[in-house]
Amino acid sequence: MAMKLRAPGWYRATAFVGLGVLFALGLTSAVRAASGLDPVIAGEAWLLVGLIAVPLFFLVGIGCFDYWFRWAAGKPTVPEDHSSHGAHSWRDYFRVNTDHKVIGIQYVVTSFFFLFIGGAVAMIMRAELAQPGTQIVDGQTFNGLFSVHAALLIFLFIIPVFAGLANYVIPLMIGAPDMAFPRLNALSFWMLPVAGTMMVASFLVGPFASGWTAYAPLSTTQPIGQMFFTIGVQFAGASSIATALNFLVTIITMRAPGLSFFRLPLLVWANFSTSLLVVIATPFIAASQFFVLLDYGLGFNFFSASRNGDVLMYQHVFWFYSHPAVYIMMLPGFGIVSEILAVKARKPIFGYRMMAFSLLAIVVLGFTVWAHHMFVSGMQDWIRVPMMVTTAIIAVPTGIKIFSWLATLWRGVLHIDTPMLFALGFLTMFTLGGISGVALAMLPFVIHVSDSYFIVAHIHYVLFGGSLFTVYAGVYYWFPKMTGRMYDETLGKVHFWVTFIMFNVTFAPMHLVGIEGMPRRVSDYPEQFASWNLAISVASIFLGLSTLIFVYNMVSSWVGGPKATANPWRALTLEWQVSSPPPIFNFDAVPTVVGGPYEYGVPGAVHGVFPDPDKDGADAAKQQPATTPSVAQ
Amino acid sequence: MEAASAAQGALVHDEHHGPPPANRSSAVEPQMLGMLLFIISEVMVFGAFFAAYFFIRIVGGAEWPAQGTELPVAIAGVNTAILLSSSLTLHWALVSVRAGNRAGLKAGILLTTLLGATFLFIQINEYVHLGFAAQDHAQGTIFFGLTGLHGAHVLIGLVLLIMVTVRSFRGHFSEKSHWGLEVPGIYWHFVDVMWIIVYTTIYIL
Repeated sequence: MAMKLRAPGWYRATAFVGLGVLFALGLTSAVRAASGLDPVIAGEAWLLVGLIAVPLFFLVGIGCFDYWFRWAAGKPTVPEDHSSHGAHSWRDYFRVNTDHKVIGIQYVVTSFFFLFIGGAVAMIMRAELAQPGTQIVDGQTFNGLFSVHAALLIFLFIIPVFAGLANYVIPLMIGAPDMAFPRLNALSFWMLPVAGTMMVASFLVGPFASGWTAYAPLSTTQPIGQMFFTIGVQFAGASSIATALNFLVTIITMRAPGLSFFRLPLLVWANFSTSLLVVIATPFIAASQFFVLLDYGLGFNFFSASRNGDVLMYQHVFWFYSHPAVYIMMLPGFGIVSEILAVKARKPIFGYRMMAFSLLAIVVLGFTVWAHHMFVSGMQDWIRVPMMVTTAIIAVPTGIKIFSWLATLWRGVLHIDTPMLFALGFLTMFTLGGISGVALAMLPFVIHVSDSYFIVAHIHYVLFGGSLFTVYAGVYYWFPKMTGRMYDETLGKVHFWVTFIMFNVTFAPMHLVGIEGMPRRVSDYPEQFASWNLAISVASIFLGLSTLIFVYNMVSSWVGGPKATANPWRALTLEWQVSSPPPIFNFDAVPTVVGGPYEYGVPGAVHGVFPDPDKDGADAAKQQPATTPSVAQ
Repeated sequence: MEAASAAQGALVHDEHHGPPPANRSSAVEPQMLGMLLFIISEVMVFGAFFAAYFFIRIVGGAEWPAQGTELPVAIAGVNTAILLSSSLTLHWALVSVRAGNRAGLKAGILLTTLLGATFLFIQINEYVHLGFAAQDHAQGTIFFGLTGLHGAHVLIGLVLLIMVTVRSFRGHFSEKSHWGLEVPGIYWHFVDVMWIIVYTTIYIL
């Protein structure tokens, strides 16, 4: 037992959580006693400090810091023996592991877990909204439901699931054995379940109920449940920054010989751009939540208007992160779709360089549009028109991408299987969401529909029809590589069509009730919206159930699906040239890249060349020799 | 054949204490690049706090300085000099280790740590004697917010410096290999430069 408590793992983590609780109690009591406050033991202060301390104690206990502690003390560090590298049984996914392939799967599975919780929360909301009046939950609980729904799906699903897919694929795509900082990578992952557990745990004390935007001074005057968001976001944000930094360093310093930036697959470009956004923008949400925490916990006056605080400052700081965040939630999806459309249409991607440059243009323009979320906030009038213009302009690089994808499909030989269906579904739904987005940029219109269901419809068209469809596409596309098994194609297609149809039945009517004036974030509504809302609620049940098809397909295929070949899609990018799943260090020898990644249908085109294993005397069985491109079509 | 390849596999596994080296596609040291990117995100955190500062002071149009918030400019100026001199001693430590001068390395890094600790001590002393609190008004809030944020970064930097000090005294670092000194060093220089901006904005402007 003593051994188990000393070694990193769940026993030690549990013990450390206990220590963290005691530490928080000791610290708050000592400070309160020293400053003469009564009573010495205060529940809320204890909880607040515990929310910060316990996760840190947990991370130490589970073993994220062991190596660094030894290193910092100048002790001989255990050389990276990689006994923890790779997963040999399902138990290895519940330990700190430095293998990017294990971490990638940990990320994806964890974030899907939170997708299902967030989706279930949405089901409760739709049940409440099926009829006017109050049926299931009261107003404050309803506020809590939509807040937890949005916070989970944004911070614990869409952002990390893309990081997870990229974690798995990017080192393989660029010919690297792992990420640049494998231990930091493990730490970034383990902060996620912490943040997610915290947000879900807010239901124990009454969930945070100020929306995922947590506008001050509403958030600084809420019950203690609000702090589960304020602090949880810090952990999710720190995780996101650490991963982004890791991606940037990996992509810049670890590319295979010959893999210049303009030979990178667009998924790598997309994550490069996303990581730039994360590193630059995410600190702003961290700061905004620090302000709220200080106001709430220590009585600071950032947002108390009676003491010269500035309330609108919160919105400016928050949206300076959260507008770029919508591109953080979209650009990796652009990358996934670029991979799939080129492979499944058997054609080179159209306008490769413009695709890369448009990503960078979105990164730059993304920082110039934040105040379009504040058109009705009472900010200075002169900011409105410039923000309207930049918002309209940012549709141009996005439009370049849409037209390039269409041109990629043009006269291609389309293989309409599940990943392709989801990619095409993304293309149509995201275009619709983008069009309503441009409409929303227009001042006269947006003032009319602000805070109505039109906004709800728009964000679900871009985040569900856009981002989630690309996530599904990516998961189906790389499933054979990740698990070494094929998924069930028929179930995949059924999943797509149920999702696609029910998604539209659920969210398209929201445009209509929104324009007619139904406000969002309210648990009740007038009689005139009743029939549409009933239809939406019924459709949303089927939409929710459609994910069960996905879960069944993934689990049963992972356990007992047919074995996948190394390259079932006949793709050129490097990750498909190694076995499925890839060997423990990805490549026995670093490949050399001699051409572009999308030369489908170009006779004689080669992307990566692998050193002849026989010549090097390496284990010959592990790898296919050089990649002769499969004949296109 | 199979047995042979299995034996070979075991051999390969014994030799491998880590992934095979990746191709280095950039001349930049990965640790240094990582630290620079981290510093960019730190700059943005400060940017958000400066945004708050100017929103409260200029956009909000609060009375400035608020009554009873006179700041000890001279003492903080001396403190600034102390912090800046720690950058010089840190550079001396780096120059020493490059020249193989271990005594200079130890003296330089120890001196840097002590100067940093002195800065933090004087700042806490200033907090105690200021005569206004963050709870009084937004002007006080943003003073403690910005200087406190910087103080927290000094603390992080000090923890890094203590690690480097311990490792220096344990005989780590050599003429060829001293990234473990240089990377935390860059962070310390960043903390110093950021203090110049914070000091100028809060105490002088």
